[in-house]
Amino acid sequence: MKKQTILSFLFLLPAVLSMGAGYQLNLQGLRQLAMGGGGVAQPWDAATLFYNPGGLSRLDGIQVNGSILGIIPATQYVNDVNGVTARTQNKVFTPFNLYVGGAIKKAGGLGVGVGVYTPFGSGTYWENGWTGRYAIQNIELQTIFIQPTVSYKITDAVSVGVGVVIGTGNVKLNKAIPVQDANGNDGQASLKGKANGLGYNVGLSFKASDNLHFGVSYRSRVDMHAKDGDATFKVASAVAANFPNTKFDATLPCPEVLSVGAAWKPFEKFTVQLDFNLTGWNAYDTLAFNYSAPVNGSSRTASARLYQNRLATRLGANYQATERLALMIGGAYDPSPVRDGYVSPDLPDANRIVLTGGLTYRPLSKLTLMAAVEYVTSAKRHAMSNETGFGGLYQNKAFTPGIGVAYDF
Amino acid sequence: MNTKQLLIGGLAALAFASCKPQLNTPNYNSGNLDFTRYLAVGNSLTSGYSNNSLYRSGQQNSYPSMLANQFATVGGGAFLQPLLKSEVGFPTAKLVLGLVIDSTTGLASLSPIPDPSPSDNAGDDASIAAQGPFNNIGVPGIRAIDFLIPGYASLNPYAKRFFNDLTASPLAELGRMNPTFFTAWIGKNDGRGYATSGGIGKVNGGFLDQNSISNPMLFAVALDSVVNRLTAGGAKGVLISIPDVTAIPYFTTIPYNGLVLTRQGQVDSLNAAYAGTPIKFQLGANAFVIQDNSVPLIKRRQMVAGEYVCLSVPTANLKRGLGSVQPIPTQYILDANEVNNVRTATANFNDMIAQAALDHDLAYVNMGAFLKTLSSGILYNGVNYNAEFVKGGAFSLDGVHLTPRGYAFAANEIIRNINAYYGAYIPMVDVNAYDGLSFP
Repeated sequence: MKKQTILSFLFLLPAVLSMGAGYQLNLQGLRQLAMGGGGVAQPWDAATLFYNPGGLSRLDGIQVNGSILGIIPATQYVNDVNGVTARTQNKVFTPFNLYVGGAIKKAGGLGVGVGVYTPFGSGTYWENGWTGRYAIQNIELQTIFIQPTVSYKITDAVSVGVGVVIGTGNVKLNKAIPVQDANGNDGQASLKGKANGLGYNVGLSFKASDNLHFGVSYRSRVDMHAKDGDATFKVASAVAANFPNTKFDATLPCPEVLSVGAAWKPFEKFTVQLDFNLTGWNAYDTLAFNYSAPVNGSSRTASARLYQNRLATRLGANYQATERLALMIGGAYDPSPVRDGYVSPDLPDANRIVLTGGLTYRPLSKLTLMAAVEYVTSAKRHAMSNETGFGGLYQNKAFTPGIGVAYDF
Repeated sequence: MNTKQLLIGGLAALAFASCKPQLNTPNYNSGNLDFTRYLAVGNSLTSGYSNNSLYRSGQQNSYPSMLANQFATVGGGAFLQPLLKSEVGFPTAKLVLGLVIDSTTGLASLSPIPDPSPSDNAGDDASIAAQGPFNNIGVPGIRAIDFLIPGYASLNPYAKRFFNDLTASPLAELGRMNPTFFTAWIGKNDGRGYATSGGIGKVNGGFLDQNSISNPMLFAVALDSVVNRLTAGGAKGVLISIPDVTAIPYFTTIPYNGLVLTRQGQVDSLNAAYAGTPIKFQLGANAFVIQDNSVPLIKRRQMVAGEYVCLSVPTANLKRGLGSVQPIPTQYILDANEVNNVRTATANFNDMIAQAALDHDLAYVNMGAFLKTLSSGILYNGVNYNAEFVKGGAFSLDGVHLTPRGYAFAANEIIRNINAYYGAYIPMVDVNAYDGLSFP
C-alpha cells in the first residue's frame, strides 16, 4: 500500500542566503588591510593584483606574497519584545590569499602574475535551537577567486592591467522546518552546493610624482551559479513526501566594485592614502532557489533582497620606522547595503566602523614578514525581516588577525 | 601587581570584552502591578485543555502558566496548578495525528485519532484540593452562569478534582486565594454548547439547559458576581472577551459547498433524484444537502454561504452520500438563523464583559478580534500561523482549543493589553519556544 499524505503544508520555506555587506571581505593584502583596507593608488606589493592590476608592472620584479587570516565574528541578538537573547557560536573562519607576480624585468614595461584570494564569504552559526531557527540556524559561504593578470607600463606615469577572474565557491545552510515530530523535534532543511562564476578586474595606475600616486580599478560582478546543490530534509515521516530530498540551482551575485584613491607622501618615510569603494550591491535584488522536485509544493522560492549600492571610505597611513620596519594604521567606514525590512539573522548587517593596524618587518633584504589586525564593530541596529517577521536588536563585532610573508625574487 | 601589569591586564580585558557585542535586555517592569498571587479563572481554554482532552503537558502549557512565567520576571510569585498525572488524557484520551486507512480506497491519510497509548489517568479523579489553593482554577465545560450553581463542582469531573467545597458554588473557590492580580476568561461555554451541537438547544437557556445559549440576565448576574468577588480585595486584573466561535476550525474546516462532484454521471443521477425540488447539482463545488424540517415535504435543502458544518460530522460518510443522497442531520449544521443567534449572544455577552472592565477599572482583552487576526494569518519569526485545521499551527486537533503555540499567542495578546492599560512593561512569550502539533 502506498503511504500518502493528504495534507500539503504551506509553512514558509524562504530562500535564505543573505550575507549582508559582510559577504564582502576586504582582506586581500595584509599591508593594505593594515591601512584601512585600501590600496588602489600605490602598488605596495604583489597584492596589487587584487587592489589595482594596473600597478603590477610597477613592482620591482617578481614577488610571492601570501597571508592567512582568522576572522572571529560575534553577533548578538536581543528581542526587545520578549527579552530573548542569542549569540552566534564561536567559530573561526580563515580567508587567505596568495599572489605571484610583478614586473618581468626590473625596468621593463610588462608585468604578469596570478592571484588566489577569497573576496566574499561569511559564516553565521547561531546557538542550536535558537529562537530564529525557522529563519536560519546556520549559514556559511566561501569563495575562492583565481585571477591571472597582465599589466603594462605605458609610460613612466601610466600603467594599466587586466585580470580574468575565475570564481569558485560553496555554500551551506541549515534551518528548522516548523513541523514537529512525535518527540517534539523540528524538521530540518539542509542546503549545500558548489558554485562557479567568471569576471574580470581592470585597473589604471597613475604616478603623478614620486610622492603622489592615483589609481582607479574596477572589479566586475561575478555571478556565482550553484548547480545541482543538495537539498536534504529531515521531517516527521507522515509529511516526508512533501519534503523530498532533491537538487537545487541558485545564483548569488558577487557585486562589482569601483575603486578610486590617492596615496601621498608628505614627508620622507610617511605615506597617507585615501580610497573610495563603490560597491554595486543592487545586483543583489532577488535570491531564487529552483528545486528539481517540488519542496512543500513549490519548485521555486524567491526572496527579495533589494540591496542598495554603497560607498565605503578608507583612510590609512604607513610609517617606515627603520629600514626594516614599517608600521601601518588605518580605518574605514563601510555602510550597510541592506535596507530596513530586509535585515535577516543569516547576517544581520549594519553600518560598520573598521579600525586596523599592522607592521611589516624585513629580516632579510628579500624577505618580508607581515602582520595585521582588523577590528570591526557595527552600529546597534534595530531591524526586521519582512519576509520572516523576525526582528530585534542586533550588533556585530569581528576581530581578525592575520600573518603573512612576501619574498622578492 | 604593579601599575604596568594592571594597565596591560586592563587593556587585555578591554580588548577581549570589546570583541563581543554587549546588548542589554530592556528594563521590564510590572508598572506597579502586584503579581504576588496571580489567579486565573476560566473554562477549558484557561485549564490548558487541548486536543479534546486535559492532560499534564497541556496544563503545563496553559496560557496562565505562561503568563505566570512572564510575571515572574517582574516580581511575580509562585504559581500552582491542579496538575494531572495523566499525559494521555483525563477522563478520556486526547486526540493525536495518526494515519487512518480509508476502507474504500485503501489510502492512508493523516487524521486525528484518540491517543492509542494505554490510559494513564488512574487515580487522577481523586481530590487534590488539600494541595491548594491553586492559581489556575480553569474548569473545562464551566459556563459563566455555572458560577452561581451551588454544588456545581460535584457534577463536573474536572472541578471535582480540586475544588475545596463541592457543595458551594464555584464563587467560593474564587475566594480561596486572595489574589493580587487575576485574569478571567469566562463565557465561551454560554454559547459554545449551542453552536457545537448545531443549535439544538434553547436561545435563553437556564441553569439546567445544556447545549443552549445562556439567558443574558443570568449571564449578567454571574459575571457581576465573579468580578465583584475577584476585585473584593483590591486586585487588578484582566477580563477577556469571548471569541466568535464561527471563526474556529471546528466550523470553518468543511465549507458549506464542500460537495465536490467530478463525474457528470454523479451530477445527473443526483439531479434525477431531486427532480422537482429546488435542489440542483453541477460539476465542481456544490452546497451540501442538509436536514431542514421547515421545508415542506422533503424536509431538506441545500446550504447557503454563511452556514457552517461542524467538524463533528462523520467526515468519511460525506464521501458516501451524506450531504447529497442523505441530508446532513441538523445537529452537525449551524444554519444562518443559529449563526445569528450565536453571534448576537456573543456580542451581547462581550458588551457586558467590556462594561464590567470599565466599571471596575480593569484591562479588557478583545480576544475575539485577535483570533480573527490569527484567522487571516500571523507571520511570526519565520512561521506562518493561521486558523486552518492541522496546518495552521495554532489550533489543536479538536478545532476549538489551541496548541501550546496558540495559547502563547493568547498569552501575548493578554500581556500586550496589560502593558497598555496598566503602563507595565512585561516581556512577551516566545511562541516558538512552545510546541505545536506533533506529526507521526
